[in-house]
Amino acid sequence: MTQSFLQIKGLTKNFGGLRAVNDVTFSMERNQVLGLIGPNGAGKTTLLRLITGILKPDAGHVCFMGKEIVGRKTWDIVNMGIACTFQNMRPFRRLPIIANVMVSCLSPRAMKRGEWVKRLEAKAMDALEFAGISDMAREKASTLSQGDLKRLEVARAVATEPELLLLDEPFGGLSPAETDLMAKSIRRLHKGGRFGRLHSEGPAMIIVEHKLQWLMKIVDRIIVLNFGNMIADGTPDEIVKDPRVIEAYLGKGDT
Amino acid sequence: MALILFYLRKLFSVIKNEVLVLPSRVVVVLFFLFLLLVPLFTKDTYLLRIFTLTSIFAILAASWDLLSGFTGQMNFGHALFFGVGAYSAALLNKYGGIPPWGTVPLGGLGAVLAGLIIGIPCLRLRGTYLALTTLAFPIILMGLVFAFPNITGGELGISGIARLAGSRVADYYIAVVVMLGLCTIMWKITDSKTGIIFHAIREDELAVRTSGINTTRYKLLAFSLSGFFAGISGGIYAHFMRIAGPSTLEVSMSFQVVIWAIFGGIVTIYGPVGAVFVLFPLMEFLRFWQEYRILMFAAVVLLILLYMPDGLFRWLRDKIEKECPRCKIRNIATRDTCRICTASLD
Repeated sequence: MTQSFLQIKGLTKNFGGLRAVNDVTFSMERNQVLGLIGPNGAGKTTLLRLITGILKPDAGHVCFMGKEIVGRKTWDIVNMGIACTFQNMRPFRRLPIIANVMVSCLSPRAMKRGEWVKRLEAKAMDALEFAGISDMAREKASTLSQGDLKRLEVARAVATEPELLLLDEPFGGLSPAETDLMAKSIRRLHKGGRFGRLHSEGPAMIIVEHKLQWLMKIVDRIIVLNFGNMIADGTPDEIVKDPRVIEAYLGKGDT
Repeated sequence: MALILFYLRKLFSVIKNEVLVLPSRVVVVLFFLFLLLVPLFTKDTYLLRIFTLTSIFAILAASWDLLSGFTGQMNFGHALFFGVGAYSAALLNKYGGIPPWGTVPLGGLGAVLAGLIIGIPCLRLRGTYLALTTLAFPIILMGLVFAFPNITGGELGISGIARLAGSRVADYYIAVVVMLGLCTIMWKITDSKTGIIFHAIREDELAVRTSGINTTRYKLLAFSLSGFFAGISGGIYAHFMRIAGPSTLEVSMSFQVVIWAIFGGIVTIYGPVGAVFVLFPLMEFLRFWQEYRILMFAAVVLLILLYMPDGLFRWLRDKIEKECPRCKIRNIATRDTCRICTASLD
């Protein structure tokens, strides 16, 4: 039996009496870009947090490249090659932007893969260059706008040179022009290659997003969650026609 | 000969291009020189004693800043490290017969152990909970000290331990040189890659974890480093006073450190050091009005913190230096353009 790149089996998480993620099972391949959608409170962010080990699941397994990662520490998981961004951005506000990214460059994974890079700062700079905020590298992170903070989140995740990138609402709060830019960077990243001293493996991605028309252009598969249950799984075209998805978003009856 | 000339020229150019351009650096150099030259001008034992104690407490205040200022792990029981350093140095000297140059570093290592012992249970705690928990540890140790009076001397402490060195001047030089050395090391640590991670842990620990950094390891590192430096200052204190008593573990000792650090400005290292050099001699000076001593001390601290909430030395530094808005390099406040990128200041 061939091992899938990422395999999630029966993942369940309760918050008190609320079942936030209920028995979610799917697997994805190395070259996929997966969209994760669903109404508010459907458990999308919780699912990402379970994968990165920020939250511990109550039941179920997550296998990444054939290894069980449930129960591992977050930093171990990141060093195995899963990077994530936060929906409500969490920069180190009082540090310069370059220092924000240098923290990621100091992780064992980034250090091992960039041995030939003598200067961390140069590598961090290239991550910022990729995200398009290198001209503000010396500013404090607290001075950044919403859109630039989103890009800082991406730069920070990319600096660990991940194999799987979990993006939590990368377009949230961005203007249409900024969204275009961000979508372009994401596609460029998925193609892989070198950005200066930074090497991109062309990571697989899971993207949580509400702006569906943008998401459709990037992803090649979509999973829909509602009240913690997986209600649909398919290509973007199949998903928009799926009656269960329309019901979850718009309610029953008047279609 | 050519080699000596080369290094002289290099030294000269460093002084000219790196030190003289910024008043804060000039002040630091003058501070070093002043401390190293004091005994040439005065042999007054009282004055030397004040400066020796000031240096010892400066190490302590700076080590608190390393842990609580930089890493954000609020430690309200910093006297624990000081006391452990003092008691281990005293015990090793009295019962082990080890001379001060051995007991002081070993006392520091003892405090590292204490740092790990309180660091491990405190890993999951944050903010006020961490502060309250750390507050308890020196009190627990004080209870242990009183519980075994035949080893620790109980209330009287361990007295009659070896002197730090032969004379007051030698004591002074040991304390000052160790202080200058350790504070430089601490400043270098905070300026290094590890320092960036310490800063980041203070800002947002979860985000550091998702950047792939083992935060447990770095927090324990901060606890042990801070404990080591504080333990060394405790060991020197014990040998200088020739007694290690329960006063080193008192709650007031822990808070004294916090007051010093916040007065001078946290997250700077130089702030707490400078603050001790202002406040400790001030406290001695106020002995002239013995009854009002504490009241006046409190008034000074309150006034400074009211008008300079970032600390005295931060405030002074911002008065004499400006940051270039473009390249973020500091310039003397009298300049109109940045010395590096020639952008207009202000």
